[in-house]
Amino acid sequence: MTVIQHPSELRPAVKASSVSGRRRSARRPMRTIGNVVLAALLLLIVLVPLVWLVMGSFKTQSEFLNNPAFALPDSWTNFSNYSAAITEGHLGTYVRNSILTVFPALFLTILFGVAAGFALEVMVWKGRGTVLIAFLAGIMVPGQMILLPLFTIYFKLHLTGTLLPLIITYTAIGLPLTVFMMATFFRSVPREIFEAATLDGATIVRQFFSIGLPMVRNAIFTVALVQFFFLWNDLLIALTFTSSDDLRTIQVGLLNFQGQFGQIEYGPTLAAICLNVFGTLVIYLFLNKRVMKGLTAGSVKG
Amino acid sequence: MLQRGSKTRVIAGVSIVAAGALALAACSSSDDNATDGSSSSTAGKSGSFTYLSFAENTAIKGTLESLSSDACKDENASSPLKVTTQPQASFDQQIQLLAGQGALPSIFPAGNSPDVAKSLDKAGNLVQIGDELKALGKQDDIIPAAKSTIEKLYDGKDYVLPTEFNVEGFWYNKEIFTKAGLEAPTTWDDLVKDADALKASGIQPFAADGKDGWPLSRLVGNYIYRSLGADALQAVADGTAKLTDSGYVEAAQKVADLGKAGYFGKSVGSIDYTTAMNQFLTGKAAMYYMGSWALSNFNDPKQNVIGADNIGFVPFPAVTGGKGSADELAANVGVPLAMAKSKFDDGAKAWLGCIADNYGAAALNTGGVITGFKVNDDSTDVPALTKSVQDTIAHTSNTVLWFEALFSPKATTTSQTNAALLATGQLSPSDYMSKIQADLG
Amino acid sequence: MKSVLGDRRAIFLLLAPALTVYSLIILIPVFWSLGYTVFEGNAINGFSFVGLDNIKQLFSDPDVHQALWFTVRFALVLTAVQVALGYLLALLYVFVLRKASNLIRTLVFFPVVLPTVAVSLLFQQLFEYAPRNGPVNSILNVFGIPSVDWFGTSTSSFWVLILMETWRSMGFYAVLLYAGLVDIPEEVLESSRLDGASGLRLVRHIVIPLSMPVLLSSIIFSINGTLKIFDSVIALTNGGPGTSTTPLTVLMFQTSFGYGEYGYGSAIALLLTMLCLIVTIFIFRSSRRDLTKA
Repeated sequence: MTVIQHPSELRPAVKASSVSGRRRSARRPMRTIGNVVLAALLLLIVLVPLVWLVMGSFKTQSEFLNNPAFALPDSWTNFSNYSAAITEGHLGTYVRNSILTVFPALFLTILFGVAAGFALEVMVWKGRGTVLIAFLAGIMVPGQMILLPLFTIYFKLHLTGTLLPLIITYTAIGLPLTVFMMATFFRSVPREIFEAATLDGATIVRQFFSIGLPMVRNAIFTVALVQFFFLWNDLLIALTFTSSDDLRTIQVGLLNFQGQFGQIEYGPTLAAICLNVFGTLVIYLFLNKRVMKGLTAGSVKG
Repeated sequence: MLQRGSKTRVIAGVSIVAAGALALAACSSSDDNATDGSSSSTAGKSGSFTYLSFAENTAIKGTLESLSSDACKDENASSPLKVTTQPQASFDQQIQLLAGQGALPSIFPAGNSPDVAKSLDKAGNLVQIGDELKALGKQDDIIPAAKSTIEKLYDGKDYVLPTEFNVEGFWYNKEIFTKAGLEAPTTWDDLVKDADALKASGIQPFAADGKDGWPLSRLVGNYIYRSLGADALQAVADGTAKLTDSGYVEAAQKVADLGKAGYFGKSVGSIDYTTAMNQFLTGKAAMYYMGSWALSNFNDPKQNVIGADNIGFVPFPAVTGGKGSADELAANVGVPLAMAKSKFDDGAKAWLGCIADNYGAAALNTGGVITGFKVNDDSTDVPALTKSVQDTIAHTSNTVLWFEALFSPKATTTSQTNAALLATGQLSPSDYMSKIQADLG
Repeated sequence: MKSVLGDRRAIFLLLAPALTVYSLIILIPVFWSLGYTVFEGNAINGFSFVGLDNIKQLFSDPDVHQALWFTVRFALVLTAVQVALGYLLALLYVFVLRKASNLIRTLVFFPVVLPTVAVSLLFQQLFEYAPRNGPVNSILNVFGIPSVDWFGTSTSSFWVLILMETWRSMGFYAVLLYAGLVDIPEEVLESSRLDGASGLRLVRHIVIPLSMPVLLSSIIFSINGTLKIFDSVIALTNGGPGTSTTPLTVLMFQTSFGYGEYGYGSAIALLLTMLCLIVTIFIFRSSRRDLTKA
């Protein structure tokens, strides 16, 4: 990969200069109004569908079918869709399964991915370019292709009927992107730091944990965030490797509101989606704060 | 964007690695039938009775569960019922994967298309249910009409259980028909005339789910049965006739004509199942081609605004001068269940007997579902509309299948995905038929 | 010093877990699947050797041609649109909204969180034509434009798909690219400003070259994602009208698991993989040339 490295000595000055930059833009009131309009427009594009979603979760099936898309629901206190989503939809079980698969997989992907990224970018050895490309190539193959072999493997190992196939597959499928991105992030960490540490006599494992990991901490949050949403929204793998209701994840669970002939129970579906979305939103906001805090503080790039 | 996969650099070693892997897979799938532990042995002690369900279908699951705690209590004690589910969209895939591992469940839906069960049977995976029932002396538990439908569907064999028995035809809104001074159509020409009159008075003649396509392609199939006779599509399956022959193309032409005249309303391709059903049940469309499984919607006052007693049923009308007759109702067995030979132990055998005796009554009582089993228990309180359909079935001796029943999965997909294009005039009738014929292979 | 950073045992320790999992779960199954391309049949009926017949069939199958053409068109258009929009948003965050961008950034990212089922339901409603007009057609009518049957023709379905995917992912690419942009040292920008560069010139000659690595990653990431579009198509158009919006992934899935032709399905997957590989290499090559020029 071609990467332009910016002179790292310049980095500490970022904070000071960005302050001066803000002062300049504040001097032009016309521009500020333009910005506000632009920002408002952006928010509108994003929020209008959200409004639709929330309104829909309060509508009955006949309201949904017979009234316009953006008509207000007849009752805002009709929580029957939500109770249907939770009881008939077994939402609790599905959320638990999603958490039990996605988080362990996320942890393993990040741990393995960061270690591999470190080995591939910071360490010096022959053939590392080839291995990196081998990982990169993993982003390219369609996921449908590994289903049949994997199913056979998991079956042989007597893993079907547990959540393990999902955790293992998620871990593996997250690796190419994680390794690739972590390698990119390590590339921007000045090599001098590691060389100096080596001179001080630090072992490589120590360097990894006490220098490498902290330096890319924010990058890890960014990658974790991206991976989280890919895994959380996965349908294909979850569909293939879960055959009992007790193992189903949230995305597969959402399909439960669709009937055999293609009929959809709109209200409970949207209520379940709402619960799902606001749950993930909380996680996102929490992670986002950490990521952005790191980014704007001007520490190591994310 | 959700599925990201794996890697490949195509190198010289591909074939070697692959051949090795395949050899591994080939060996393993043959000896795996035996490695599946205790449950696979056919003699002696019995494993649990596993049912893999369509996730979308809760009726069969509910009925089996109610049987397990009631009529089949004893069978359940020795061989407890265990239900797992799989969404319909990935069901055929799952069955293939399981069959490849010799790990089919005891009892399961016979796939989204008859081809799945046929290839399972060809590979020797299925219990010959008809023979087993005869051995148990319970062959009369399957009603004759259902048995004949099954045999038409599966090359004359009967290795599935009819958990539903549905008849299809036109449901019509009596009030709208009376107001417009019309009578239920008995010939195709009447149907077109009625539709024309309805359209002229500002009412959409038909509600149809063009998005899924099958409600439209079934019209084509029914027309073929009426004009060319009940064996016309078997002839296509046997290769003695082609869908591109003029008689078959005429059927597609007739359906295209309905679309061209605007009888399906605007943009039938973007109407889904729920919307079409709603159009009919809120009185926005006068007629609705659908199967009797929709009775549960019709009998639900929350969905049905026009009222259940306002709905009438006519079989698909006759074609004047055609070889078929309107008495031959289009019928299907819903989600037929097959049983795996590898799991057919004493427990499963006992379950089969119990299901044959009791499923019909249990399904009618728990979900109002009409099955292909004899109802061995005088059921109470059936809604009037359901009762009238039951009577219709009782008076039917000959049934016909639907358009895609004998098609390969590929031809089925082609037929259904292009049906809306046919009805909206974006695909000519002859192109439509030749596309399907090409995929029949 | 070399000996520590080149310590074989440490390299093994760090690399082994990732490489093992990756090889076992992804590499081996991929080659395993590729092996199926020379066979015919499925897991139920067993396989028989057919040599290169499946590969040959790719070249004569009109369904494959249509799916390939759709996939390429879709991936190119969508990548161009979503990365460009994401980049514009990222520029907006960094140079215009600055610190105030936090909330906006979070909210614009938000649609990525929504499940495909929800997003497609929403877009089906927005672009509804029958039985009643959705909001989009109603707005068109206000301006005297007749309603459009969005899902009725292949062209309009294509654009609704593009629009939906863009709406979903632009915030994601904006955040990805933002991470690259905040990293550009203010001094470099400041000194170019002093040299008289401003606005577009600044972006073109300083910002784009400096953010090239992350821009490149985004494009590669996007093209590889869009070439493999699956759920969105299934949920929004189901490949229709007819088969006009059926991408290779859906065709492959149908062929393998729907029609039980696993060998041919693998051949289609191979085609798709080659496509991803070629496009990625092409992007690498052309970007490298550009960079050396700049």
